[in-house]
Amino acid sequence: MRFIFLALALSSALSAQVAYEDILKGPGSNWLTYAGSYNGWRHTPNTQITPENAGSLVPKWVYRVPNARGLQTSPLAHDGVLYVTNTNSVYALDARSGRLIWSYVDSRAERQSPNRGAAILGDKVYFITSDNYLTALDRSTGAVIFSKQYARLEDGVSSSSAPLAVKDKIIVGSSGGDSGVRGFLAALDAETGEEVWRTYTIPAHGEPGSETWGDLIDWGGGATWLSGTFDPQLNTLYWTTGNAWPDFNGKVRPGDNLYTSSLLALDVDTGKFTWHFQFTPHDTHDWDAQSWPMLVDLDWKGSPRKLVLHANRNGFFYVLDRVTGEFLSGTQLTDNVTWASGIDAKGRPILIEGKEPTLEGNWVCPSVKGATNWMGQTFHPGTGLIYILTLEQCGWFNLSEQEPVPMKNFPGGGATEEGGQVILRAIDPTTGKRAWEYPMTGYGRMWTGTVSTASGVIITGDDAGQLAAIDAKSGSHLWNLNLG
Amino acid sequence: MKTCLWVLLFALPLAAQHGRYESESTNPAIGDPVAIAAGSELYLRSCAGCHGPDGSGGRGPNLVQRPMWHPLSDEAIFTTVRNGLPGADMPPTNLSDDETWQLVAFIHALIGPAAENPTAGDVTAGEAVFWGSTAGCSNCHAIHGKGGKIGPDLTNIGGLRPLAVIKKAIVKPSDELYYLGNESVTAKLRNGETVRGIAKNRDIYSIQIIDRAGKLHLLAMNDIAELEILQRSPMPGDYAERLTAQELENLLAFLAHQTLRPAGPEAK
Ligand code: HEC
Ligand code: HEC
Repeated sequence: MRFIFLALALSSALSAQVAYEDILKGPGSNWLTYAGSYNGWRHTPNTQITPENAGSLVPKWVYRVPNARGLQTSPLAHDGVLYVTNTNSVYALDARSGRLIWSYVDSRAERQSPNRGAAILGDKVYFITSDNYLTALDRSTGAVIFSKQYARLEDGVSSSSAPLAVKDKIIVGSSGGDSGVRGFLAALDAETGEEVWRTYTIPAHGEPGSETWGDLIDWGGGATWLSGTFDPQLNTLYWTTGNAWPDFNGKVRPGDNLYTSSLLALDVDTGKFTWHFQFTPHDTHDWDAQSWPMLVDLDWKGSPRKLVLHANRNGFFYVLDRVTGEFLSGTQLTDNVTWASGIDAKGRPILIEGKEPTLEGNWVCPSVKGATNWMGQTFHPGTGLIYILTLEQCGWFNLSEQEPVPMKNFPGGGATEEGGQVILRAIDPTTGKRAWEYPMTGYGRMWTGTVSTASGVIITGDDAGQLAAIDAKSGSHLWNLNLG
Repeated sequence: MKTCLWVLLFALPLAAQHGRYESESTNPAIGDPVAIAAGSELYLRSCAGCHGPDGSGGRGPNLVQRPMWHPLSDEAIFTTVRNGLPGADMPPTNLSDDETWQLVAFIHALIGPAAENPTAGDVTAGEAVFWGSTAGCSNCHAIHGKGGKIGPDLTNIGGLRPLAVIKKAIVKPSDELYYLGNESVTAKLRNGETVRGIAKNRDIYSIQIIDRAGKLHLLAMNDIAELEILQRSPMPGDYAERLTAQELENLLAFLAHQTLRPAGPEAK
């Protein structure tokens, strides 16, 4: 039979593009941002999986992502297609069959580091290569629309975060804070990749905040290696920043080291700060603030308030007013916190003497990995609880007095992670109290996030390598699947 | 009862892959632009006559596109060049060690992406060939989002493939290429609809088709009454005649320049 190639007049129109308004709607059959929605909830309104039927979940297919070692990506879902990223690569999968539709591998990228995910807008899927190219691919073919470099490896910057599509912009962050870098957040034009604005997380010499540094201000760190959240009414982006550099040696950078280990609120159109809040001033334990700023509206002491919730690596759980940045509360997230006795009325940690890294090593809790980390928590509007994987772990913190040399990967010391237990915790954000907890058995690895369904199921990774479903109300086990 | 008609399937999966190397030598000549340039001179003088100026073969075999079961390595090339292949038509040489490594470095580069090697043709003239109606390449292929969606994206083709492989894809499109991912298909669905386009993937349970309008059809084989698969590359087979030698050379220079990373050996 002869195939007549050009005789095709197709009736079907182009399938729907992704509009900004679609992202605003939040998840349903689609999952259009790294966290599912701009508010960072990682919550689906879907109700097919319930506490009653979760026990009968069965896997439908498995796709082996080529060269995957410790995937850190959250897939996007649109129109029956899943977009999964790995180092310098994107895979578009048929969601129903798990079959590959297209893949894109940037084989000449000059660095290989983890990749946390993609963004989608219009007909384009966006992701970031390790060597800082924002790459826009045609969502149905994987064809390159543009690939534009927005920072140089030579300046110590590499990239790992999932970009965030907002209006007509793609917001990109930076990595590299453990070897000296000037962190920044940038908005690039979604059509061309041209820079619209760039805001540094470390002030320039003479700018407000520069007095909180010493000579190392040019390499202060404050990387923005996790994606952020966005409030469309306030037109404000919420983005967290990483540790100061050198990580463990605070002596060479006297002061608070603004704006490291902080939460920044920025106008999405200009990139200008609306406010900032620093969780760990003058951090010396590598406690990046990279954990989700979740946007919720709750009754706060009798009146409705726009809040931002944040579980920090430093061991505390914070509630701030997201309009003004006002600190509202800081409660202990994990049981083992030895560096601060609490958070004062202004939001500063009340330090306990002698918890800095030392030449001989100092035993401090939480460990360098933190009380929680970047993997993502979920907020369930039905229960009003936030569900967080936490880590009860301590470790040794060592100081090195070696001369800091930027980009030589010198963290000013080192730290260990000793034992530890992962505990899934349901926390009431209005009190900071635990509704329940789900302790796990494992190696204290804790690199998995949580998602919730409107029907009251929490899906999480278990520290022993299992996928698990937990009842959102009671914290009881519903189902598990060993993934090895 | 005939429910599903399968026409074809003779393309051997993974029959050929370019640039397969078993080992990478640490000899300093490898990747060194000066050594590569010297090797290029030697190659044109003593090898191109049999292996083709771009390594795509002639009296001697294609050095770029290698069968999977017979990859080359730097060391194997070195030994072959030094000793020849006794009993075959491949003569030995009496080049010095340094010269021989220069040759190996050149072949190594030849097997690498086209963008990393110098090309002869005129890029601007080649651009006109690509977008022009005589060749019609852009009816099927896109570069930076402009062009058709039926053929593979060529935005990074120079950064991906050796020149000899690109050339072969154009002048002998139906020769030993592995089409899975690029098959032209017509699927008559049980519901009476017909979907025509390129199967990006398929197995015996499902098929993923992109139609000419760029729309994806993710189908279960159970939904399909009749599936027809074109037995050759959808690429026109007459480019060797349709384009002049000069046009082809220019077109290749243009394609070699399509790269997402800086071109040229020194860029590495
Ligand atoms: C007279 C023609 C001729 C010349 C000149 C020649 N070759 Fe060859 N070459 C051949 C033939 C024929 C073979 C394949 C022999 C066989 O496998 O039967 C071959 C094989 C090879 C192979 C091994 C390929 C394989 O499949 O393993 C390499 C490498 C090679 N030649 C490199 C060179 C280089 C470099 C030069 C220049 C110094 C050169 N040849 C010059 C004819 C030639
Ligand atoms: C009728 C559609 C059509 C036209 C016209 C066409 N191609 Fe193709 N081309 C394809 C398809 C489909 C493939 C993939 C299957 C294959 O390799 O044969 C392909 C493959 C290729 C490849 C290999 C890509 C790879 O990833 O290795 C190159 C290079 C190429 N074409 C270049 C061209 C050039 C240059 C022209 C114009 C001179 C052209 N094509 C015209 C459809 C077309």
